[in-house]
Amino acid sequence: MSGLFSSLGVAGSGMSVYKTWIDATADNVANTNTVKPTSEAAYQAKNVVAASVPGGANAVGQGAQVTQILLSDREGTVVYAPDHPLADQQGMVRYPSMNMTDQMTNLIIAQRAYQANVTVFERARDAYLRALEIGR
Amino acid sequence: MALIPPVGAAMVTPIQPTTVAPTTGVESAGAAARSDSFGAAVNRALDTLNTQQLNADQMARDAATGKLQNVEDYLLTAAEAQLSTQLTVAVRNRAVEAFNEIMRMQV
Repeated sequence: MSGLFSSLGVAGSGMSVYKTWIDATADNVANTNTVKPTSEAAYQAKNVVAASVPGGANAVGQGAQVTQILLSDREGTVVYAPDHPLADQQGMVRYPSMNMTDQMTNLIIAQRAYQANVTVFERARDAYLRALEIGR
Repeated sequence: MALIPPVGAAMVTPIQPTTVAPTTGVESAGAAARSDSFGAAVNRALDTLNTQQLNADQMARDAATGKLQNVEDYLLTAAEAQLSTQLTVAVRNRAVEAFNEIMRMQV
């Protein structure tokens, strides 16, 4: 990203991070009821790890980036469900160990943060456009 | 009447060596200045601009064909291309304005 209109790139990197978070949350929500037999690992909820990108003009930083996707525990929650086709000898199956409340909260935080970045983008763009009209 | 010197060969001849002899020197200096001139700067800016526009076009194509991964990538590239275009045009307009101002100058 060129240094001339760097705010646009910074805001874009933020949008990228929050989009990844929304994607990960969507995947988690989609897999809330993914049941696995006890011989396999449970669905592991995806957690996005964000980090700042150092550098940029005047060292103000170049935005944020996703460094890795952490997976929650593979144990999950072992539930007694003897009627379940995937149940083992003891009648147990694995459910993912996450709750919908956390996921929905994350979704709202990610959505709002994405919108905030869009606002920053628009304001920066307006500011640059106004700057081009100086002296006109 | 004696104060006005006659227009003769003596007045014209000294001009000729200054105009003819250093032509090569003047030309090479002009060429060197031209490579770093306003025209060259505008050319370079237009080159960068063209690359950015091509990037934006590629992104638009990706969006149309479903290859685009991030919506914001396209908007970002498009906005940057737009701003760069306006910046280049603004600089060019300002320079042309200045040139016209000089051309209107009474000598």
